[in-house]
Amino acid sequence: MRLLTHNMLTSHVKGVTNGYPLKLQAENIKVMSVDFNPEFVARMIPKLEWQALVQAAESIGHLGDLPRELMPEYESNEEFLKMAHHVLMEVEVIEGNLECPETGRKFPIKNGIPNMLLNEDEV
Amino acid sequence: MDQESCGVKTKLTKSERKAHKKQNNARQTLLRHEGINTSREVTKHLVVANAGLSNGVHREELWRLFEPHGDLQDVVMVTGKPYAFVSYNDDQSAAAAYTAFNGRMLKSPEELQQPNVTFYLNYIDEVPSQRATGLDLPPGLRLVEDFVSPACADRLLEGLGWSNEQQQHMDAEQALKHRRVKHFGYEFRYDNNNVDKDKPLPGGLPDWCSQVIDRMMSGGHIKHRPDQITVNQYQPGQGIPPHVDTHSAFEDEISSLSLGGQTVMDFKHPSGKRVAVVLPARSLLVMSGEARYLWTHGIIPRKMDPVPVKGQEDSITLARREVRTSFTFRKIRHTPCDCKYPSQCDSQLQRPGASLPRSEGEAAQLEQQHVHQVYEDIASHFSSTRHSPWPRVVDFLKTQPIGALVVDVGCGNGKYLGVNKDVYSVSITITSFIVNICGTNEGRCAHQDSLLFTRYRTTHDEFLTSPLKLERRMKAVKELTRLLKPGGKALIYVWAFEQEYKNVKSNYLKDTKGNEPQTDDVRDKSSTTTDDIRGATSPDVSQNDSVQQQDVGLPVHVNRTSFKSQDMLVPWHFRDGAKKQQRDSHPGVKEKSQEGPVYHRFYHVFKDGEIEELCNSVPGISVIERYYDKGNWCVIIQKGL
Repeated sequence: MRLLTHNMLTSHVKGVTNGYPLKLQAENIKVMSVDFNPEFVARMIPKLEWQALVQAAESIGHLGDLPRELMPEYESNEEFLKMAHHVLMEVEVIEGNLECPETGRKFPIKNGIPNMLLNEDEV
Repeated sequence: MDQESCGVKTKLTKSERKAHKKQNNARQTLLRHEGINTSREVTKHLVVANAGLSNGVHREELWRLFEPHGDLQDVVMVTGKPYAFVSYNDDQSAAAAYTAFNGRMLKSPEELQQPNVTFYLNYIDEVPSQRATGLDLPPGLRLVEDFVSPACADRLLEGLGWSNEQQQHMDAEQALKHRRVKHFGYEFRYDNNNVDKDKPLPGGLPDWCSQVIDRMMSGGHIKHRPDQITVNQYQPGQGIPPHVDTHSAFEDEISSLSLGGQTVMDFKHPSGKRVAVVLPARSLLVMSGEARYLWTHGIIPRKMDPVPVKGQEDSITLARREVRTSFTFRKIRHTPCDCKYPSQCDSQLQRPGASLPRSEGEAAQLEQQHVHQVYEDIASHFSSTRHSPWPRVVDFLKTQPIGALVVDVGCGNGKYLGVNKDVYSVSITITSFIVNICGTNEGRCAHQDSLLFTRYRTTHDEFLTSPLKLERRMKAVKELTRLLKPGGKALIYVWAFEQEYKNVKSNYLKDTKGNEPQTDDVRDKSSTTTDDIRGATSPDVSQNDSVQQQDVGLPVHVNRTSFKSQDMLVPWHFRDGAKKQQRDSHPGVKEKSQEGPVYHRFYHVFKDGEIEELCNSVPGISVIERYYDKGNWCVIIQKGL
C-alpha cells in the first residue's frame, strides 16, 4: 500500500464519526523506483490531505525532507515534486496495520494489500 | 583428520579399514555436495549414509532398526537423498546406534526390505532444518514419501486395466474425453457429492489394492480401513477445483496415493491461508482432522508447477506435469458427522435453500454463499479465463486526465491495471483470493494499489448480483456516486438479459470454442480444464439439488443459452457444461451429469433500459452515455457539479 492510497482511506466501522486519518504502523516497507511524472504529482497534490500524508510518512520514518506545509507555487518546484513523488509513490507498506483513530480497530496490511473488510457486526 | 592419523594404534582388519574409508567418503560427500558438516564429537544426531529414500529405505524401517538402541527422538528422510537423519534424546543412545550400525551390512530381509545395504554413520551437531517434512503442512495432513515401490506402482496401474478399452461400465468406470475415473466399493456420485451407501458395487475392492491398504493400516498411517476407492487420471493441464470432501459421506481419514507424475495440491484455510504441497510420485497423502474437515484442497489446472528446488527450499523451479493417477481411499461413514468444524459440515449445518431472499439478512446470506464464497473458490480458474481487457473499458480509462484517481470496483484479476499510466487506480474487491491474484501478478503496477474493502454494498459483484432487487442495487449506485468528485464519471457494466442484440448473438451464446469468450461470464476456456472428483461441501451443490428436484427457489441457468429469468444461479464448470453427457444417469437428474462439483453464482441480469432507470433514480447523477457491449448493458454516469 502506497501512502497515496493511505491518504484516501477512512475507517468505516459502524458508528464512527471521525475515521480519518488512519494511523499507520509498518512492519515491512519496500522502497522502489517509480518513473517520475511531475505533472501527475502536481495534479495529485490538491486532492490530498497534506497533513495526513505528512503524519503517515513521519510515523513510518519516511518523511525525509518533505515540507510539513505546502509551499506556494509547488507545481513548478521540481525538487519538491520529486520528494512528494517519492513519498506518495515509491514507499510501499508491505506488512503492517491501519488503525481507526476512533475505535482502535486494526485493519491488517498483508502483501501490500490493506484489508478493510469488516465483520458482519461492525457494519 | 581421521582416526588413524590421530594416532589410534589399534590394528584394523581389512574390513574395518574399508569401513573407515567408506565412512570418510560419506563424510566428504555430505560436506561437499550437501553442505552437511559432520562432527568429530559424539552428538545426539546421526546422519546415516545409504539409508535414504533413494536407497529404497523407508522411514518406518529405520525407526524399527534404531529404536532398540536408545531413546529415539526422530527419523528424518529427505526426498531423493541417499541418507537419512536419526536423532536420539541423548548422546549415549546415538553412540550405541553408531556402534551397532556403522559399516554394517544389513543382509536380512527382516531388517530391510531391500537388504544388502551397508550403513555408514557420522555424528552431526544438528539435523538440517531445510527439509523438515510436515513442518508447515496444515494440521492433520501427513505426506509419506516413497510409500510404494516403483514395482508396486506398476502393479497398481496394471490392475486398473486401463489399457483395455473394452472394459467399460464394469466397475463404474467413466471413460471421459479428457480424464478417467473409476470407482471401487461404492460409486461416488458427482451429482450430489456422496455415495449410495446401501448400494455397494459388486466385487468390492480389488485384490491388487489390498496390499496397499494393509500397508497403510500396519504402518499406522490410518485407523479406519477404507472401503471405497476412486481412481482419477489427470493429464497435464487438468486439475480439480478446491473442495472439502463431504463430511457426512466419509470418515475422518482420506488418503491419496499419487502414481505417475508428481503434482502440487493447494490447501486453503477459511482464513485465506494457503499451503501448496508437492505430492511426489509414489507418495501417500493422508488428510485427517482439520486438514480433512476444514481446509479445502484442489489442484490448479496447469501444465507446469512451481516447486522448491530440492535441497534449496528457497529457490523455486518449474516442474512439468506428467500423467498422474491418484488413488483416493475413503471409508464410508454411516453415522452423521460430528466433527469440530460445523461451518464446513453438512451434517451439522442446515443450509437454507437458495431462493429469493425476503429480508436483508437472507440477502446477505445468499450473497455470502453464492457470490463471495463462490468467487473465493473459483478465483484462480476464473482469473485464468480473463486476460483480455475490453476495448471500450480501455477507452474510458484512456480518456481520464493526468493525475486522475480511478477506482476499479470488483477489479477481478486486475486486467485493467496499468492501462493508463497517467492515472492512479485503486482496485477494490471483496474476494481476498482475487485481490491476491492481482496483487501478485507481475508485481504491482506503479500507479495502482489493491484494497480489500468493506461490506458496503459497493462492489461490482454485488452490484451485478444484488439479490434484494432495487433497494440494494440502488445502494451500490449511491455508493459509487459518493466516491465521485463533482463532474466525475463512472462506467458501469452489467450483464444483459438480452444476449442477442440487433440480430447478433453475443459470444456467450455463440460458444466460441478456443477463443477467449468476451462475456462477463465464462466457464470453459479451451479444453485444458476438467473437473474431477469427489465430494465437495462447496457452497451450493447440495442446495441446488433441492432447487432442481423440488422445483422451488432460484432457477439454475443452463450455460450458453438465452436467459429465462433475471434472477438465477449460474453454474461455473471447469469444463463445458453445455455438452451434456449422454451416458445414462439417475432418473430425474436430467442436467446434472457433470463430472465435478459445480459452483453456482447468483446473478441478476439487466433488461434493456433497466440500468439507466436505476441510475436516473439516484439523485445527483445523470446518464451521459449508454451502449450494449458484448452481452452487457453499459452506462457512463456523471456526477453533477
